[in-house]
Amino acid sequence: MTAHTAPARPWTERPPLRRPLLALLVSVTVTGAAGLWAVWAAPESFRQPMAYGAGATALVLCLVLTMAVHQREKVRRYRRRTAYLADQSRKLAEEVVPDLLARLRGGASADSALAATPPLENESYQRVVEQLARAIGQSESRRAAALAASANAAGRMQALATSMLADLRDMEHRHSDEEVLADLLHLDHRTAQAGRLADSIAVLTGARSGRRWAKPIVMESILRGAMGRIAGYQRVRLHSTTGIAVAGHAAEGVMHGLAELLDNACNFSPPTAEVHVYVEEVPAGAIITVEDSGLVMSDVALRRAEKAVSPEAAADLAGLSGTRLGLAVVGRLARKHGLTVSFRPSARGGTGALMMIPQDLISRPQDREDPPARAATAGATGTGGFSATSATHATPAPAPSRRGRRTAAAGGEAPWTDGTDGEGAWPAESWPAAATGRGRGGAEPAATPDHAPAAPAAGPAPTRASADAGAGAGSGPDDPDTLGIPRYSPGGLPKRRRGQTLAAAHSAGQSGSPTPAPSPARTLSPAESAARFGAFRRAVQGQDRGQDGSGSRPAPDRSASSSPSHPEDDA
Amino acid sequence: MIRPGRDDDPDRLYTVTGGRSRAASKDFDLVTLVVSECDPVPGMQSEHAAILRMCRYPTAVVEIAAELGLPVSIVKILLSDLLDSGRITARHPQTTGAAARGRPGQPVAAQLPDPTILEQVLVGLRNL
Repeated sequence: MTAHTAPARPWTERPPLRRPLLALLVSVTVTGAAGLWAVWAAPESFRQPMAYGAGATALVLCLVLTMAVHQREKVRRYRRRTAYLADQSRKLAEEVVPDLLARLRGGASADSALAATPPLENESYQRVVEQLARAIGQSESRRAAALAASANAAGRMQALATSMLADLRDMEHRHSDEEVLADLLHLDHRTAQAGRLADSIAVLTGARSGRRWAKPIVMESILRGAMGRIAGYQRVRLHSTTGIAVAGHAAEGVMHGLAELLDNACNFSPPTAEVHVYVEEVPAGAIITVEDSGLVMSDVALRRAEKAVSPEAAADLAGLSGTRLGLAVVGRLARKHGLTVSFRPSARGGTGALMMIPQDLISRPQDREDPPARAATAGATGTGGFSATSATHATPAPAPSRRGRRTAAAGGEAPWTDGTDGEGAWPAESWPAAATGRGRGGAEPAATPDHAPAAPAAGPAPTRASADAGAGAGSGPDDPDTLGIPRYSPGGLPKRRRGQTLAAAHSAGQSGSPTPAPSPARTLSPAESAARFGAFRRAVQGQDRGQDGSGSRPAPDRSASSSPSHPEDDA
Repeated sequence: MIRPGRDDDPDRLYTVTGGRSRAASKDFDLVTLVVSECDPVPGMQSEHAAILRMCRYPTAVVEIAAELGLPVSIVKILLSDLLDSGRITARHPQTTGAAARGRPGQPVAAQLPDPTILEQVLVGLRNL
């Protein structure tokens, strides 16, 4: 590749002889003429020595002059060459090598990077560049391969840990034996820690981060999820009354980063000391403070830690020490999600780590305050009331439903949920509450004629309820008029509220309200009673229809299920 | 079908119970009825608050477990916490029934239905 540039290299040419020859010619001419003139002008007797002298002088003069010119040429040539070399060196140092490194770091192979680099005219420089390219290319590809392998392995480990955790949770639900449960919880904890390690490696190797949550995760779950991944979770004390939630895509990162901070706090404090976690809402977001009472970090250590978690440091793995991965992981995560992490001495005598979650990652479920009022509003407007309802519909998972029902329970002043859907088993005229248009969702777990399934104990019904509750974000509001007062089915049978003992129901019924009570039932005509049993049958069959979420559900009357549900409610 | 144990919540069960796997008290079985004695207070563990809200009326342990989506053993631990702090009371339905039966002044409906009556109802239904 150097062949075509060879003529351009001044130092490889023969030194140009033109000027010395010209100088020689001129000097020979001049000295010859001068010598001849001197010989001719000299007296006859002196002519011969004069000729010799003049000849010798002319010869010496010519030689000296030619040499001088030649040397001057040489000096000039060397100067040029030096300047050229200096220029080449500068180019090498300032352009070629940085370009080459950038290309190699960008993932180009040594050959392609070399091809893209403008060739240097200096052969030895070119050789240096080539060797450099090969060496760096090799180490880069080695690094990339190792990183990819680690990332892949970490990803698999993550997937394994996640599925193991899911399996373990299944088993925890299946086995009620306390011994087995204790063992399962132990395994669960270990697996969670292994999962965290896999997550850390995945974060450091730049693999895709762990699992993503489909819904915002409330702060309490974030904190518990974080402390569940460290060994000393029993020493962690949570102090949080906030109801904010972290967006699903960032929740895993926040949890992981927090787990690393908690792990640090636990590792660097006495094994019996507690680690306290506080959550504070600020205009810019939310601040999670992890305070331990262990070692006080020196200023230098604080600065080093701050540097380790700063976004700039997080970009490079070079600062990674073999054993301390935590802060680097936190730094990476902070960079990814825009978290701010800082350290300060703690009032407890140890170190406090602060993690600020920016506002755009935070959502505030509106369902915490004043659930009854909200439920009433929802009922009045006849809409879902708030967006979370649709979210629940979109993600019919047990947890949202569970929380949703929890919320509903907060608005527990709605003990009688009479929402019936269009094809329910009961004629609409019999349900004043239904006439208000509740239960338009049609899938209310609570839309239950109380006597329909004869309240089949606690066995299948709750399971069914939790199964369909995801779709059951019905919007039945509370029913203030029924608060504490027994309701009666169209047939005149008293309705028992879920969980209410028969004694309570009966006594309330006797003292509380005018009772159409059992007596009309006894006076029904055969046709009426047949119709009623027909309704009973339809209600029982509705159990099957209920599978598709449209029939009325013969589940026990659930006080909690009529309010709109919110996935984020954790109260 | 969505299983109750599906793992889509970051909470691990051991963090819910603080690492315990058995209830301190043996007062609870599946059908023990639980009534809350106070309203939830801010800062309470969300499960505790949910139980308190849920149990304004007597509620069986198994219903609470289904409602919370947690295993019964875990719920028992949570309940025994609440029982220790006096926020709930628990009683067994059978003892209630027995007590009611023993007292003549108690309304008839408070008694547990006689199995023979239930049988007769069943026969009557079948004869329809």
